[in-house]
Parts: sequence; C-alpha cells; structure tokens
Amino acid sequence: MPETLSQLLDDSVLAMPIAAGLIMGALTINVLMLVWAERKVSAWIQRRMGPTEVGPFGLLQTLADMLKLISKQLITPSNVDKPLFHLAPLLAFAPVIAAVALMPFSKSLILVQNDFGLLFVFAFGGIAVIAIFMAGWGSNNKYALLGAIRSVAQSISYEIPLILSALSVVLVVNAMGFTLASGGSIVVANGLDLSHIVMAQDQHGLWFVLVQPIAAIIYFISALAETNRAPFDIPEAESELVAGFHTEYSGMRFSMFFFAEYTNMLIVSMLAVVLFFGGWDGPVLPGPLWFFLKSYMVIFVMMWVRWTFPRLRFDQLMTFCWKVMIPLSILNLLATAFVVAVL
Amino acid sequence: MTNAVPPEATPGGGDGEVYSLNMGPQHPSMHGVLRLLLDLKGEEVVKAKPVVGYSHRAHEKMAENRNTLQFLPNTSRIDYLSGMIYNLGYCQAIEKILGIEVSERAVYIRVIANELNRISSHLLWFGTFLLDLGGITPFLYSFDDREEILDILDQVTGSRLTYCYGRFGGVTMDVDEDFLARTTAFLARIRERLGMYDDLVAKNVILRERCINVGVISTEMAKSYGVTGPSLRASGVVYDVRRAEPYGGYEKFDFDVPVLHEGDTMARFHIRISEIEESCKIIEQAIKGIPEGAILPKKMPKRFKIPEGEYYFAVESARGHFGMYIVGDGTDVPAKLKLRTPSFSNLSAMPEALAGTMLADTIAIVGSIDVVMPEIDR
Amino acid sequence: MSKALLEVLEPFTSSSEESDYGATGIHRRHTTTLDNLARVCEAFLGAGYIFEMLSCIDLREKEEIMRLCYTFNSLETADRHLVHADIAGGLEAESFEAPSISSLARGADWQERETFEMYGVTFVNHPELERLLLPEDADFFPLRKDFGRIEDAEAQDD
Repeated sequence: MPETLSQLLDDSVLAMPIAAGLIMGALTINVLMLVWAERKVSAWIQRRMGPTEVGPFGLLQTLADMLKLISKQLITPSNVDKPLFHLAPLLAFAPVIAAVALMPFSKSLILVQNDFGLLFVFAFGGIAVIAIFMAGWGSNNKYALLGAIRSVAQSISYEIPLILSALSVVLVVNAMGFTLASGGSIVVANGLDLSHIVMAQDQHGLWFVLVQPIAAIIYFISALAETNRAPFDIPEAESELVAGFHTEYSGMRFSMFFFAEYTNMLIVSMLAVVLFFGGWDGPVLPGPLWFFLKSYMVIFVMMWVRWTFPRLRFDQLMTFCWKVMIPLSILNLLATAFVVAVL
Repeated sequence: MTNAVPPEATPGGGDGEVYSLNMGPQHPSMHGVLRLLLDLKGEEVVKAKPVVGYSHRAHEKMAENRNTLQFLPNTSRIDYLSGMIYNLGYCQAIEKILGIEVSERAVYIRVIANELNRISSHLLWFGTFLLDLGGITPFLYSFDDREEILDILDQVTGSRLTYCYGRFGGVTMDVDEDFLARTTAFLARIRERLGMYDDLVAKNVILRERCINVGVISTEMAKSYGVTGPSLRASGVVYDVRRAEPYGGYEKFDFDVPVLHEGDTMARFHIRISEIEESCKIIEQAIKGIPEGAILPKKMPKRFKIPEGEYYFAVESARGHFGMYIVGDGTDVPAKLKLRTPSFSNLSAMPEALAGTMLADTIAIVGSIDVVMPEIDR
Repeated sequence: MSKALLEVLEPFTSSSEESDYGATGIHRRHTTTLDNLARVCEAFLGAGYIFEMLSCIDLREKEEIMRLCYTFNSLETADRHLVHADIAGGLEAESFEAPSISSLARGADWQERETFEMYGVTFVNHPELERLLLPEDADFFPLRKDFGRIEDAEAQDD
C-alpha cells in the first residue's frame, strides 16, 4: 500500500492534486482544532466553559461554524472595487498554504526540499500584506481602510525584526557543521535550509533558544505582530473599528481570511520551533509528533498572551518596533556575527 | 504634557485631508447609544461632536404628570447603574422637603445599599473600560464579583438592577442576619480581588502606556464644565457631595475622599479603584453599627404634598453630583422636577478633551469618564 | 458666602435674601434681570464658584413670564445660590430671548441647548444652538405646560 501510494505520488500526473488535497485537508483539520483550542483556552482563562454542546467537549463546534459560514449568502456591497474585493481573500489564503509545504516535519518528511526554505517562507509572508491592503481598499469603507492601513504598516515594520532574528540563527547554523547519518563527513550547514537548521540542533543536542534567547523573544513578539494577534491586534480591534480590514466580508470570504489567519499562526510557530526549539528533535515519540506538539505549545503561549493583555495603541506599536525591536535585533545580529567570527 | 500630536507624526500627515468618521450609535464599544461625529486627519481627531438623545424618555415631563409617589420607580431608571443611589436620593429629597423622620436602622440600611450599588457600578466600569482597550478577560472577573452584589441586593429588594427600594420615611424590606453575613463575606472577597486587579491590570505596562497622560482634563476645564465625581477628583479638586453636603447618615462614617492631580485616564482609573475600597470601609462600619428598630414610620400620610417653593437636593452617585431641583405648588404633583445628572456635564467636556488626541485614545477617554447615556438623555 | 461677593452682586440683583438651607437646600436666592445676568455670572465665577445647573419654569399662564433658574455652588464649602431671571411673555408670545453665558461657563453650553429645545428660549450669542436631546426636525417644545397634557390627548378606541 505505501509503495503504491508513493509510486502514485512520484510518477503520476495526479501527484500535485493529491498532495495539494492532502495539505488542504490537514490544514483544514488544523484550523478546526486551533479555533476550538482558542475558544477553550480563552474560556478557561475567563472562568467560563467554552463550547461543550456540539460533539464531545465541543470539538465539532468549529465544524458547525464552518458549515454555517459556507451556507451564508455572499454579500457584495455596492461600489466596491470588484477585482480587488474578490481577489483579496484568495490572495490571503494561497501563500500560507505554500509556506506549509516547506516545513521539515521530520528528517525525511519534507514536502518540498529547498535550499532556501527560510527565504521562501518570509517571501510568502510578504504577499499576505498585499492581500490585506486589497481587502481594505476594495471594501469602499472607511473602517476597513483604516484597519488595512494600520495592518500594512504593522506588517511591514515587524517583518524586519522577524527576519533579523532569524538571520542570527542562520549565522549560528552556518558556523556549525553537522554530520549526516550516513557518510559520516562533516557537512557545511546551509543556514537557510530549514532541515539543516533542525539537524544542526539535533546533532549538537542544543536548542537554539539557549544559544540565541534574545532572538527567540524578538521573534516571538514579531510573530504576534505579523499575525495581527493581541496585543498587536489594532487592525482588527473590535471595539474601535468593528472588524478592521475584513469588515465587509461575509460568509465564505470571511472564513477564508479566518483560515488564513490561523494557518499563519501555525506557520510562524512552526518556524519558531524549527529555528529555536529543535524542530522534530525529541526522545521516544516520532519526529512529526514532537514537531506538532512543540508548535501547538507555541500557539498556546500566543493565545495565553492574547487573553491577558489589552492592546497597544497604534503609534505605541510602531514606536516599539522601530525604537526597541529593530535596534535590539540589529545589535543581536552584530554580536552573533562577532562571536561567530572570533570562535 | 498635552495630547496634541505633532502633524508630522500622524500617518495622514499634517496637511492631509480631513475626513469624517461616524462612530455609533450602534457600535461595539460606545457605552450606551452615543454617536460621535469625528473629523479626523489621519489618526488624529481634529473635532469631536457627540450627538445624544437616542434614549430620551421624557422623565422630566413624566414627573410633572405624576404625583410624588408615582414617580418613585422612574428614579432608578434614570441611571440604571446607580439605581439604588438615585432611588434613595429621591426619597431623601422628598423627606427633607416634607420633614419626614427616618429611623436609624433605615439610615444604616440605606448607606449599605448605596455603597454596594456604588461598588457594583465601579466594577462594571472597570470591566467595560478594559474591554474597550482590548483586554477582554477582566470583564468576566469583575462581572463575577458584581453578580454577588446583585444577588445580595436581589435577596432583600427583589430587583437586580433597577431598584424601588426606598419609601418616603425608610425602606421597603428589612435586612436580616443572612444579608449582613453575605455582605461581610463579599467585602473580604472583593478586597482580595482588588489585589489581583492591581497586580494584573493596574501594573500592566500596556495599560499604563495607553492611559498615562492621555485625556488630561485640567482643573480649570473641569470646573468650567461642571464636571463632578471621580473625573473631577482625578483633576485635583476634593469635592464629594457626601462630604460637602452630608445627607442620609454619611456624617457618621469615617472615609477618605481620594484625590489625584494628574487629570489623565490613569488617574481616573485609580480614583475609582480607591473608591471601591472606601465604600468597603463604609459598609464595614455600617454593618458593625447597625441598630435595631423599625424601617418605616408608623403613620404615613397618603399624599405627599410639596409646599410651594423651590428646593434643591444633591447626592453623590457613582458618576458624580446628581441634583434634583424641585418646584412645588402645594399639590402632590410637582410643578417642575429638573434632574441635574453628572454624565450630562461630564460628557459636555468631551469635545474639548478629545481634540488633538488619536482615534484609539477616543475610546479610552470616553470610557474613562464613565458616562451612562440614559442619564444624559433622561 | 463672603461679604465681598455679596457686595459685588449688590448692584446687579434686584432682590437677594437668605434661604433656609436645611429645608430647601439653597443658601441664598437672588433675582436679576436679563441685562445683568452676565455680570452676576461673572461675579460668581470670579469668586471661584461653579455653574451648577440651568433650568426654566413655564409661568406664562400664571405670571406671563418664563423664569430662568441658575444655580451656582462653591466646591470648597457648600454654598448654593439660586438666581432667577424672568423673560416677559404670555401664552401668545412668539419668542423668548435671553443672553447666553456659555462663553463664561462652558458647562452652560449644553444646558442652554436643552433649555432651548424644551422651552423654546433662544439664547443669543450661543455658538451652536441646536437641538440636543430631541430629533433635529422637532418643532415643538415639550416641557411647556400646554404641550402633551394628558387631558388634551385624543381618546383612542382599541
């Protein structure tokens, strides 16, 4: 059975659609679980129960919500910029799926092997910004526009510390080498290759969060800002802007933005696990299981932060990025470069 | 430090276009039905104009068409969050005009009920203020505390929110040992909770960033607009009607009137938290000293005729100075009843306080003033 | 209540008497004319008092006037002064006018708007005399005594 499946995937022209279908299925289940987890975690923090009715422990609640959203009428407000309005959800949706394909789930289980995996992930993240702005502008709605403006400014600004902190890890990986299991020769590690980053941590038994703690913290905060999560959720601030850039979207289109947001959360946490927490490294349990467990732990911390803090005002958010995060990440990078050069 | 944002700092730029944004009357954040017409340049508010009147129910006209006793249930609907204070305040006003004696026990019960109402109003304000700022969790905790107060008052009055507990001369139902025990237990609980709110909320750096030096109301501005209540006390003026014109037994109790001088949102926040503690002190003293006795006078007139003349009576509600100006003409239907509500004057200071602030601060500032729209619209 | 304040008020008030605070809640009552109203306000505000309330009593039928009632209070020690200013006019009078004090006490802004829409008293020199609580297109004055009387309402057969 596995042989025919892998033969099927390797040889036939159906490989692409099947792989795509598998990824979509996995991601959909993931989003369902994450939304359920969000509601449960927020409920427990707020001394409530969360969903309990639909399915055991309310597990099927998100499915019911998705079915409801799919069955809703697609309302297009008048005077919207039709191409932008219709294209935005799709453009928000597509890059995140592509980025998942690059993640190393275990030593051999990578969907797309690529020498520059890290760069690709960040590139796809950049496309999402365009989608947000298209949504805000195309909606012909002042609230949406305000939300889009804020979101775009926030995303572009926080990409910088995000990438700089990842670069620090790349420098460390490039300096280390590691031995491949077969062969036994020292391989010069390519820091941009995601599987190399994990293997370097695995071989030296040292998670990079211990080597680069500042980079880890900067990365985590920037990740919160990139995914528009509280305390950086000004673009979606319900109490100010109704719903920010996706105010005018209803039904399936809204669920696409929703899907994109939660998958984005998954990607940044998977990347955090790859960069700092050893990827699939771990005793006893199989690699992919550890990978997912660690990613979900990071997501849990993101949810915990969301329900604890109020939100930052927009100019405070930008000040924090440009005056604190970026200088700090540059200093970290310089220090890392210095240490790597000396040792 | 002023609120004004230098033109270069705003995303829209100094000579960008001014566009208008309408917030409300239906809006996830505005407390009650308030419509704010904002003229914005980028993120900076150039001009803010509140539009009120969406919940105008003609209370003053109703007062002129009903006799004094019939108007009693209306009083707690004027400001439903301080319903007990308003209801008992109206009773005290008529008692003062007609010279009706209130028994000691009723006085103490009224003080306990008033202060419990004040705590519940401040707790609600605390939860919704943080909700507007994005911190959703404290809302559920403060409402949990508030539920306990509502249950306690429900036990004795029969209502959770809009009370008609007072009668001219006393209160309707007597309180029993269970009520006093529950209230004492509640005091212990809220004091512990205030410690938690202080650690997690008041010391939270994001909250402090959003509230310190935001929405500064100077002393001169507050006095000119007639702002009263915690907003006035945060701007440096020690004015509490319970101290300035003692009524209803407050002269017997020992409590402080907290005052701060910064006049910003953080100061108003701290004042309200301090007021919860002060109310706890008052309730404690009242429970300790409550005497036995009747709660209503034995003989009560059937009609309460207001002698000719003009009268003014003020109480301290959770929002400030609530005054009733009553004109009598010898019958039991007042010729005129004017309700001078604190939120009316507090909100009228908003256009000046909001000019030059950022959009996100608008929510914080209006929230920190603690307006209740039905009180403004009556 | 300082003697200095009373001396300042003396030329602008036509009557000024003590009132029993314990029974009425008012320390002192004054009567003034519309022309002297601004001066009286200035005197109070200059002495550190705040403008507390503005109201109006509809006495067109009984005394052929609209009576404006202002209260000023001190925030240091309670000292409430009630000031009356009468606008002449009976039931048939077309309009009632009074000077606005909103430039002196900014809290009077909204109170005057409310008095305008409820009683029809126009305040001259008010920056923006619009309806506050009622809809913009309301053309009636609700708190006048001849409006909305229950006995004037049409009987309805349900």
